[in-house]
Amino acid sequence: MKTERELMDLCQYAVSVGQKRGANAIEVQCDSRIDLDAGIELGEVNSVSRSVGTEFAVRLYLGKRMGSAFTNIPTREALDEGVSMALSAAKATTEDKDWQRLPEPRTYKEIPGLWEEAVIKCEPDKVVRLTADMVKKAAAAEEGLIAAYGGSGTSIHVMAYANSSGTAVAQKLTSAYLFLAGVAPTGASMTPLVQSYDVKRGLQLDMDRVVDEVASNIRLCKKKVKANSGKFPVILHPQAYSELLQYTLLMSVRGDNVARGKSKIADKIGDTIASPILTITDDGTTPKGMHTSVADDEGVPRQRTPIIEKGVLRSFLWDTYWGNKMGVKSTGNAKRNMRQGLLEIATSNLVVGLGKRDIAEIISGVKQGYLVRNLQGAHSSNPESGDFSIVGNPAFLIENGELKGAVDGLMLAGNIYELLKNAVETAKTPHYLEGTIGPEVVFKDVQVVVKE
Amino acid sequence: MRLSGTPSPSEEGFALFDVLQKAVDVGRNLGATYVELRGEDGFIEYIQMDDGRINALTQRIERGVAVRVLADGAWGFVTTSELDVLDKAVRDAYSMAKAAAPTRHEPIKIAETKPYKDTADIKMKRDPRSVPVAEKIRYMEQMTKVIRDYDSRITAVTVKVRTASGLKYVVTSEGTQIRSRQLLVWAYPWVTAKEGARLSAARFEEASTHQGWEYMEKVATPEFVGQQAARKAKLQLEGVPAKAGSFPCVLGPRVIGVLAHEALGHLSEADLTANSAFAGKLGQVVAAEGVYMTDDGTIPGEIGSAKYDDEGTPTSRVEIIRNSVLTELLTNREYAAKNGLRPTGNARAESYLFPPIIRMRNTYFERGDATEDEMLEGIDFGYYCADFRAGQAQTNASFQVGIQEAYEVVNGKIGRPITDLSISGIATDSLFKIELISRKEFPFENGRCGKGQEALVGSGGPDIRFSKGGITFGGKT
Repeated sequence: MKTERELMDLCQYAVSVGQKRGANAIEVQCDSRIDLDAGIELGEVNSVSRSVGTEFAVRLYLGKRMGSAFTNIPTREALDEGVSMALSAAKATTEDKDWQRLPEPRTYKEIPGLWEEAVIKCEPDKVVRLTADMVKKAAAAEEGLIAAYGGSGTSIHVMAYANSSGTAVAQKLTSAYLFLAGVAPTGASMTPLVQSYDVKRGLQLDMDRVVDEVASNIRLCKKKVKANSGKFPVILHPQAYSELLQYTLLMSVRGDNVARGKSKIADKIGDTIASPILTITDDGTTPKGMHTSVADDEGVPRQRTPIIEKGVLRSFLWDTYWGNKMGVKSTGNAKRNMRQGLLEIATSNLVVGLGKRDIAEIISGVKQGYLVRNLQGAHSSNPESGDFSIVGNPAFLIENGELKGAVDGLMLAGNIYELLKNAVETAKTPHYLEGTIGPEVVFKDVQVVVKE
Repeated sequence: MRLSGTPSPSEEGFALFDVLQKAVDVGRNLGATYVELRGEDGFIEYIQMDDGRINALTQRIERGVAVRVLADGAWGFVTTSELDVLDKAVRDAYSMAKAAAPTRHEPIKIAETKPYKDTADIKMKRDPRSVPVAEKIRYMEQMTKVIRDYDSRITAVTVKVRTASGLKYVVTSEGTQIRSRQLLVWAYPWVTAKEGARLSAARFEEASTHQGWEYMEKVATPEFVGQQAARKAKLQLEGVPAKAGSFPCVLGPRVIGVLAHEALGHLSEADLTANSAFAGKLGQVVAAEGVYMTDDGTIPGEIGSAKYDDEGTPTSRVEIIRNSVLTELLTNREYAAKNGLRPTGNARAESYLFPPIIRMRNTYFERGDATEDEMLEGIDFGYYCADFRAGQAQTNASFQVGIQEAYEVVNGKIGRPITDLSISGIATDSLFKIELISRKEFPFENGRCGKGQEALVGSGGPDIRFSKGGITFGGKT
């Protein structure tokens, strides 16, 4: 694997080539990655795979005409040709009158704990052992539990970015994960797939917690219960609401959607759009976040951006292009699809504010309601209107403060802005998920539709 | 990877066979049970236009190899773009398989298949690689204009175009040497409409893996694709909210197709079947009488069709449900051996970056015998669902399909359009609530399926009517 310095040299070389060939602005990003994974199928370690690759994305401007290119060969010759392809693309395209400039040089804060040497030294036999242990523990944790999918693995990621305005930043990250997806027979059918994972920068992974979460949920899924349609309190696990928010609210806080008239809350900065108990922040700097980094994909430092503070809409998320167009600063939320050459605005780590009570205590106070751990169909929500109609699966019935069992085909229908106003409590302990750090959230009067 | 200025894939094709074969020999000499190298070399392009502005325009030539080795009963997989170190990639894959093997109780075996030496080409008129970028941009500008002109309330338009043109090589230690042409033309508009504070959105997509750019000129024209998306966004703006609960309904070809894919097709993928509601149900009645559902990779011109899969097995027609009985599962060589089934040619990989896994191809309900008039007859109140936004299934046969075009059915007639909603159910229950299956011909819907990696799939079926209790509507009132 090449070092940060070597990758930066190649990025800066490509920038200089682009400038010499007439580009008035050029940026080059490099992602170099080694991924090692041991995978599970049908309760056994099925395969071990290693993926090694170095990718370069070139984006340049001829006047106000943009062209981009991609190469996965880390040599000067390949980058020469990449710049040529981007120049050809720019010549063929139309002028973008709104384009102004690439990001200017900035200073970067060091974020501790993003790199752990132990991950680099992790060999295939280690991830195989971890995965085999997890399968064994899962089988012993609950009768009938099959580790259907999952595995463990490591990732070593070195990135560099340089542009013709003088911005240059390189960073390196490690991560390791354990992932378990289990099912169990339920007489004539099967439980839904129940998933849990742990992901960290190093190898201190909590296998017992992962196995216990899957086993305890499978245990509940084996008990099928009937439920009623109507309006009920619903507790959403962060795995569930993070997905729903991703396809509704968070689409509407993207600066490009605000600027293009695709956001229902474009004129609501300073207004109350959610319950006062809700505080939602985008934080690309928190050391425990798996989407934390020194800079975003166009070299802008990551930052902490309050989106909703005690129910009040505080900020949208921006990259450099849309920030320049709308007269605001980038919030460090640019994300690049390397192969497509597409730059989009995306959240880093979504952090949801904590409440005061433990989730067990909250559940004990619910007379009748539901706990939804995962969703089906959040991606079919309407990102513009915020309307959603989704299935909770697994979804558990709560009666008189107790989890009674799983409900098949429990649908939740509504609009995200109405749902956010109906948040009544957040639990006190956060779950550390990939891209979300938050506790369970309780919503009142949620429209629940159950299968007849 | 190779960039412009170097020889074309066709000139280098047979040389690449030699390179892959030498690497296969390395694995065989190490003692591997099976060695498979899948090389790709081709042109890939992505263009995105947002409200007339080009937001991405990337053309790339990408070359890479997927190495898969079965040794001591476990798989090792390595992906690389460096062809000069393929020997090392094979050794790595071999050692990784050996690392996994001691943990297995049951060694992985693969079903026997005949090795093929063949070339599978596609006759096209306009290779997307040779179509000037300016022409593609004009296509997207024209689509944007068609959509904008459709209704003054349309406020934002994103148009995406993907094309690909290249060659894929599969070489195995059993003697298979197959070269296949890879082709894609794909268009996708996303439309936003606004009236007062009310916002609506709709999408449409069309694609072909068997025709070149001529498909965009004759079938997926800016007018056809653009009008479909614009019409749906307009209908939603004018729609009424759906009710919540269970109602009699008719699912049209695009929606019944996604139900076939999401709710049943995934349960029939043999790697998922053992963990799903179809486990142990082969040979049992799983649907109402007269229901037939098929996955067919051999239909000429359809998006999921190909001559061979990514293990070199010929594709086939798989009768998943035959007259209400679960008859056959979709397999690759591993799951065919595990379950004593035939390899059906459903092993597919998105690219050299991924190992092949079991995927659908063109999945559909077969036509029935009901006339058009009979389909809505006798429904006092219900729904006709014409198009979907997305769908998702679970192992317990729970399905959800987001609907972006639907209508009320009142006294046996199509009524008002309705706004966004989704439908759901437990597929193994819903199949028994099928009342009528239309005899009318239907087109396939061309879409993409995600199962950790993308596959282009066709799905469809005739209008199918479900009685109350079969489908739940997640409406708001």
